[in-house]
Amino acid sequence: MQKSILSAAIVAGALAISSGANASDCGDISMADMNWPSATLMANVDKIILEAGYGCEIDMVVGATTVTFASMNEKGQPDVAAELWINAVREPLFAAMDEGRLHSAREMPITDLGEGWWLPPYTKEAHPELKTVLDILERPDLFPDKEDPSRGAFIGCPAGWGCQLSNQNLFIAFEMEAKGWNLIDPGSQAGLDGSIVKANERGENWFGYYWAPTSMIGKYNLQLMPFGVPFAGAENWDGCVAKGPEACSDPKPSAWTKSEVHTVVTDRFKNVAGPAMDYFANRIWPGGVMGSMLVFMETEQADGPDAAAHFMEAHEDLWMQWVPADVAAKVKAAL
Amino acid sequence: MSFFSKFPAMAKSDLRDFKKGIDGAYKDFSREYGEAIETFFDPLYYFLTWFEKLLNATPWPIIILIVGGLAYLGSRSWKLAVGAMISFLLIGYLGMWKNTMSTVALISVATLLCIVIGIPLGIWMSRSDRVQKLITPILDIMQTIPIFVYLLPVVMLLGIGKVPGLIAVCVYAMPPIIRLTNLGLRLVNKDILEAADAFGSNYRQRLINVQFPLALPNIFAGVNQTIMMALAMVVIASMIGVKGLGMPVLQSIQNQYLALGLMNGLAIVALAIIFDRVSQQYGKRLQRHREGGHDA
Repeated sequence: MQKSILSAAIVAGALAISSGANASDCGDISMADMNWPSATLMANVDKIILEAGYGCEIDMVVGATTVTFASMNEKGQPDVAAELWINAVREPLFAAMDEGRLHSAREMPITDLGEGWWLPPYTKEAHPELKTVLDILERPDLFPDKEDPSRGAFIGCPAGWGCQLSNQNLFIAFEMEAKGWNLIDPGSQAGLDGSIVKANERGENWFGYYWAPTSMIGKYNLQLMPFGVPFAGAENWDGCVAKGPEACSDPKPSAWTKSEVHTVVTDRFKNVAGPAMDYFANRIWPGGVMGSMLVFMETEQADGPDAAAHFMEAHEDLWMQWVPADVAAKVKAAL
Repeated sequence: MSFFSKFPAMAKSDLRDFKKGIDGAYKDFSREYGEAIETFFDPLYYFLTWFEKLLNATPWPIIILIVGGLAYLGSRSWKLAVGAMISFLLIGYLGMWKNTMSTVALISVATLLCIVIGIPLGIWMSRSDRVQKLITPILDIMQTIPIFVYLLPVVMLLGIGKVPGLIAVCVYAMPPIIRLTNLGLRLVNKDILEAADAFGSNYRQRLINVQFPLALPNIFAGVNQTIMMALAMVVIASMIGVKGLGMPVLQSIQNQYLALGLMNGLAIVALAIIFDRVSQQYGKRLQRHREGGHDA
């Protein structure tokens, strides 16, 4: 405890010097550039707006969820993680937030995100009676398994991913075996993506697990199906479904647990870049806009900075709402 | 001056269009011909499924006896036959029987496919230097291109499951048999070929009765290598949805299930050792026969 007070004092001292040197400046900020498209896009848009509108100097640091979080937690670097999926780091993150070392600048910076079971839009259109997962489960004949055509194919989550266990246990909970379904393990993200691309390019029915925001969902406009049952409580989910059939063989049917994403910043950032905290608080990406941007990134093979530049041009009406008028004018002038 | 300090690369937008063009062309191709190509591979698929079902439906004591019998026939060594039977018993006891049967089915069909395509290609290569010059770089590509580069295109074309897995395995495992068939046929002593010609044999007779038997040890080394490389691809094939010993390995990698990964990994190793020893012993016997008989 003494140590953290000491370091806080040192940081505060350093801040006093730097803010004294240039009051309008938010100084050097390091920002995590995560290795998936939506996060790198958000980080690059943040970079443009914070640099032009708030006078920050942004340094991008390549990252991934656990590595970046560990570094933020231990070393206070990088200062900002725009899209942190907290399920994997929940406990240490909340501990750090309680101690005031890290702060959540925005809960759910993207709407409509999360995991679940999806259908292609044409399947949904051709079969309007399929309103929920429960309805789909009655129709395995619509999704024949190539290796066993008398049964339906449900494409689960690749072997070894956390979601594999949840999907296995939901498969059990919904008694899909008895309803005539096979749980297909696509083996890898390439397998999962490839199966979606193949089905959609040829207009074949497809039923399986995926998550948003992703270009896959955006490009093929996959429809998230409501489960038709409520979320059956954290105890059932965390204590059973998510642990997989080996650890818990008695799961209850449940909707998918809510995914939580936060924009997380360090205490140092909160102190140096106070006004920028307001920006993060206002910055909400509608799921549809994010989806269309991810499709743009894929079809145009654009990297983060290119896509961010395109976003600033194409979605001016959106980001203008995130910042006060004077900042918006500064950003616009800089573009 | 900037010409020298910065590589004159293609303009970014042109490069993007270039990449987009290739991606688009491939998607169109897959949309247009994907189903036809899938149908083309159906016989292979039915054969593999049938074989896997057969292995799974056969009572386990019979499989164990067949394994022991084949091992003995191949190697003429009781030690190896008993060792193979014990490994299979152990695999079954540790709950990996079904996955092992799937993997054995995949490896057997893959090896068969590689032999059926690879040996004729090797013969063709040995007949013409031009063909050899053409095929060698293709084999180099097949052996060195990172597997992940072609996994996605294969899945886009054929979906996930056995057939794309089989193709991924064969792309990697086929080169040795082609190379060694070619090499073996080319290494056959020119004097012997001349003698065959002098006896008035035509090309077919010379190839089947003279060249091929003499090249057999090399060809067999190729088969052996092909089996080994196919086994090495078991885990990769699982990445596109092939059931078998690879799935639990993938699962254990990301979840730190040490025992699960080790057990299934060792099962793959056991298969590899059995296949390797048996086929090597068989190849050696062919060679001994050759040395003792005509060639001395």
